[in-house]
Amino acid sequence: MALLELASISKHFGAIQAVNDVSLSLEAGEVTGLMGDNGAGKSTLVKMIAGNFRPSHGAMRLEGTELVMHRPVDARRHGIEIVHQDLALCDNLTAAANVFLGRELRVGVGPFRILDYASMYKRAGQIFAELKSETRPRDLVKQMSGGQRQAVAIARTMLSKAKIVLMDEPTAAISVRQVAEVLNLIRHLRDQGLAVVLISHRMPDVFSVADRVIVMRRGRKVADKKIADSSPEEVTGLITGAIERA
Amino acid sequence: MMFKKDLSLLVLILVVGTIVAIINPRFLSPINIANTANLIGLFGMFSIGMGFVIITGGIELSVGSMFALLGVIFIDLLVNYEMNWPLAMLLMVLAGTALGWLHGYLVTEMRLQPFVVTLCGLLIYRGIARYYTNDGTAGFAFGMNFPALEWLTTGRAFGLIPHSFIVFILLALVMGIVLHKSVFGRYLFAVGKNEEAARYSGIRTHRIITAAYVISGALCGLSAIYLAMYTRSISPASHGSFYELYAIAAAVLGGCSLRGGEGSVLGIVLGAILLQVLQNLVNLLGIPSSLNFAVIGGVILIGVLADQQIVRRRAQLKLAKT
Repeated sequence: MALLELASISKHFGAIQAVNDVSLSLEAGEVTGLMGDNGAGKSTLVKMIAGNFRPSHGAMRLEGTELVMHRPVDARRHGIEIVHQDLALCDNLTAAANVFLGRELRVGVGPFRILDYASMYKRAGQIFAELKSETRPRDLVKQMSGGQRQAVAIARTMLSKAKIVLMDEPTAAISVRQVAEVLNLIRHLRDQGLAVVLISHRMPDVFSVADRVIVMRRGRKVADKKIADSSPEEVTGLITGAIERA
Repeated sequence: MMFKKDLSLLVLILVVGTIVAIINPRFLSPINIANTANLIGLFGMFSIGMGFVIITGGIELSVGSMFALLGVIFIDLLVNYEMNWPLAMLLMVLAGTALGWLHGYLVTEMRLQPFVVTLCGLLIYRGIARYYTNDGTAGFAFGMNFPALEWLTTGRAFGLIPHSFIVFILLALVMGIVLHKSVFGRYLFAVGKNEEAARYSGIRTHRIITAAYVISGALCGLSAIYLAMYTRSISPASHGSFYELYAIAAAVLGGCSLRGGEGSVLGIVLGAILLQVLQNLVNLLGIPSSLNFAVIGGVILIGVLADQQIVRRRAQLKLAKT
């Protein structure tokens, strides 16, 4: 059974049809590359899965049960996490503080509870070690490289025991060496049995890490096939419209 | 990092203090220290609230006008309505809280800029205060006494330590825990730096920002009483004017960034202390008191410049090492 199933999902904003009758399924332990030109509907699709938008038509099923979400917190409660393009991190806080932002550990009694720094540093350290990242829990995020920042963002999803991780352009604007680091993080998530959706413009990244590629054009899904059965040339054609459908 | 900044401020205070003490030994006399401590307490209380607002990336300009408005009402309640003072005090703190909430509401829900909201507050409250007394001075009638209230506000422990200073230190301790040890404090920093990220993390950012203004308002309400009891008469046209700038100066000196997301309670406390030491310096060194603001402005400018240079130098050293 698919982990997440989208059945004939559509979304329109007034007269604009952003996503048109898209069906797809995500499997546990699989990385799905989601590709398409700007305005193809990738972001809208992902935002529906993340609970930012409600679909105009169609249904979503998580592990077979109907999924209705009103806000992003609902998605998170169901184990769907999103790692944003602009890296929704707070520069002025430590790595550990960012990992735990919104779900801090506390000690104390009743209303008098203070932040449990020690436990948070320890747990964050464990997660970074699991991710084989050199990120240190006590470092401020503003002093970190792009790759380390991604590690922090990804550690956030590990903390919550997510089932599905949506990654929006995680390899944009970082150095080549760090790209490799981030791709390793993605493989690591997959090996843990998560379903990863990788939204990217970078063909090499998708072809090196994804198991499957979905191509969107003008709000429609024009391809959904195994990476092994496709090629960068074909995907480029699908994105631009040179190839109608595959 | 934060601690280093606080430390350099402490050093600055000690250096300035030492120089003043050498030139004029009266600086260290118990009476002078007690008087300065009293002023530190009075000006420090609302500086903490200002710091909270600044950490959210906002600003609170209506502080001084709030003192005038709440001050004249407080004295009116005591003198003309003969209300018992704990109730009047509670009402003023609640009134400050309500005004703070209003500012927070306008900033978050109505999406107005903090500068605009609180600038309007500055004008409106000052205007109402002046209208309330017909531009006259509100004060206590001759021979009117409130022993318990006076003990609480202008009293001195062991005849020396001003209660205002003790209250300030207690408030600083509590607010320090709130800012640096509580989840709320952590969210304040998060919201101040990257509100969007905070919202994505499930933080109710509007509530957090509003809470900062509410805390500032409550502390202003309390300060209004202390200031009213200190001056004992309030001319609403001038009472408390420019006080918001003292608070902003204390907070910024203490390491609060006007861009939000940075600051510490210890820093604000030290900033408030430095400001009053500078005031005191002007008096003790025989500098014409008309130059008061110029001296304070000059020292702050030099301090901020020096700090920036040190930070830049340190960053370069770090870069050179790697």
